[in-house]
Amino acid sequence: MIKQAIALSWINFKSFPHRLVASAISILSIACVAAVMLGVLALSSGMVKTMERTGLDNTLLVMRAGAVSELQSVMFPMEVKLLSNNDQVLRDKNGQAIVSAEMFVNAEYKKSPVNAQSNTEHVTLDGESLSLRGISQNTYLFRPHFKLIAGEKFATGLRQLIIGQAIARRMPELVVGKTINLGGSQWFISGVFSDNNSVFESELWADIGTVQSDYRRGSSVQSVRLALKNNTDLTKLAQEWQADPRLNVRLILEKVFFAEQAQNLTRLIRWIGLPIAIIMALGAIVAALNTMYAAIASRSKEIATHKAIGFTPFAISMSIMSEALLLAIVGGLLGVIPLYLVFDGWTAATQNANSLSQMMFNFDISLTLIAQAMTLSIVIGLLGGILPAIKAMRMPVTVALRDS
Amino acid sequence: MSTLSVAPAKKLNNIILQDINKSYSKGDNNVVVHDKFNLAIKSGDFVAIMGPSGLGKSTLLHLMGGLDRPTSGHVEIGGQRIDELSESKLTRWRADNIGFIFQSHHLLPVLSAQGNVELPLSLTPLNKKQRQQHAANALALVGMADRAHHFPKELSGGQEQRVAIARAIVSDPQILLCDEPTGNLDRKTADEILALLKKLNNDFGKTIVMVTHDLKAAEYASRVINLEEYIALGVEAQGAQIPQEQQSILVGE
Ligand SMILES: Nc1ncnc2c1ncn2[C@@H]1O[C@H](COP(=O)(O)OP(=O)(O)OP(=O)(O)O)[C@@H](O)[C@H]1O
Ligand SMILES: [Mg+2]
Repeated sequence: MIKQAIALSWINFKSFPHRLVASAISILSIACVAAVMLGVLALSSGMVKTMERTGLDNTLLVMRAGAVSELQSVMFPMEVKLLSNNDQVLRDKNGQAIVSAEMFVNAEYKKSPVNAQSNTEHVTLDGESLSLRGISQNTYLFRPHFKLIAGEKFATGLRQLIIGQAIARRMPELVVGKTINLGGSQWFISGVFSDNNSVFESELWADIGTVQSDYRRGSSVQSVRLALKNNTDLTKLAQEWQADPRLNVRLILEKVFFAEQAQNLTRLIRWIGLPIAIIMALGAIVAALNTMYAAIASRSKEIATHKAIGFTPFAISMSIMSEALLLAIVGGLLGVIPLYLVFDGWTAATQNANSLSQMMFNFDISLTLIAQAMTLSIVIGLLGGILPAIKAMRMPVTVALRDS
Repeated sequence: MSTLSVAPAKKLNNIILQDINKSYSKGDNNVVVHDKFNLAIKSGDFVAIMGPSGLGKSTLLHLMGGLDRPTSGHVEIGGQRIDELSESKLTRWRADNIGFIFQSHHLLPVLSAQGNVELPLSLTPLNKKQRQQHAANALALVGMADRAHHFPKELSGGQEQRVAIARAIVSDPQILLCDEPTGNLDRKTADEILALLKKLNNDFGKTIVMVTHDLKAAEYASRVINLEEYIALGVEAQGAQIPQEQQSILVGE
């Protein structure tokens, strides 16, 4: 039985090139579905990876109660001090709490006019919102993967900053040694850093004091990061701080915070992307159905002859199915391979829904995702093939042989 | 050398159609094609069936070959009621016992002559080498050995029909059912094909039932049935048309 099916499938495969043009529509539509599917999956996987790389296990992120993002939060020195005094916070050898108070603002970046020398008229280009983080020496303790990959760290007290490599990659004009207009003031780019492809690579970092004064924030900050002892009971800590009338804070592990953001973003992408993929998949099924119906219609004599020779209807239907499968595999590969060649590692910029600042993610095309996109293609092929296969199986031999 | 069995037939394959009713219902319409039809064909015979279009000649061949089932009545071949076989058993039986030759050859364009002839053998337990050998033998028998690797589009109509015949006989069925096998061919080519069929009947003992519109083709047969007259004879007389030695089978049932 299987042998028969293989013999017939082999014949269909052989004649497949002749039918390539007739099958082009279904191959292309399957290719599109596979590409969209892979794109959606790769983008959300890239996001999750970026977000998951961000944050240490024992880093507690503290913001104002009710703040969804760092941008919406504000905290004052008194609060930072109270938080730092807690017993659960790790201390360095000098007895100082390991704490990082950070400023976080959306800085408007205005590109300078293309022709900077002949700067007679002032041309203002539309600004772009970049995430600027004011940090202190302690901040580096919370970013063990931080690496300076060009230039040097910013000098304290000066309008200097270092930029994450994701930004540097996306905006090639931002190079070390250049001075840029950020929120109305001139900032000097002193270096470029990497941080294990985390979210931070989409940020600009500068000295917190300079940012505070530049943005007239006094000594307020947006968020506080605390290194916790291993045995810390988060619920107890939350209760303790809630009971303190001087504090009004939200606490969350930094890891969890970014993971949640990733979830929100990927949910968004999937909500938009998957319905599109599904609608396209339905279209592709119809196209495949069409192609396969046409294929068996044009081959009704051939099929009848096979039945007359003694091939079982089952073997005949299997050969139709295998042809639909071939269609799906060719289509799937046609969608997946170019996407893989062109877009793997390609950087996409998104607006973070909460902070409205730029975030960069890599398309992350893994074998698993390719397998998923191919599986979808194959399912489309099988769904498109099954009805024609049943029809071929049932087709009365005598009718097919009679009409000429 | 030949894989085809030489006469006399390895087993008797009398074809008996008894009390056949065949009708097609399309909506309210009921088209009766055959009504109380009887026919017996002796194993090893070469029978030509002639008659006007639409009389049910092809239908008879389809019934004998198990491609179609009677509405009622018996189809008995080699002592076996094939109308009672399950679909899968019937398919298997057909592969073993029947070779079809149609007016148009229905060869697969993507396969060479050799490939086309080998195809039915993929239903047998033969290995690749044996299949090639059998197909080569069948092609040699129909005089197409030198064209084994040609594709259908590189062959003439007569050559294609020869290949189709090779395909029909390659698994050595006892019965060949031919539906206007020379309908598409010129006189000379038709005669060659008919001679080939005659040879398969004479030398290899194949039972051949051939539907044809061609009087000259019918001359190759050892028995000619004019279907219109035959039907007009009625049930009783149809029995009388059947050779003596087979009447007993019919009556005995
Ligand atoms: N599937 C079907 N549904 C309805 N009627 C059918 C069907 N198949 C055959 N018939 C009818 O049965 C009758 C006999 O058909 P058949 O093909 O056996 O005739 P034939 O003698 O072979 O004719 P021809 O010489 O033209 O080939 C015809 O009237 C045809 O219309
Ligand atoms: Mg006919």
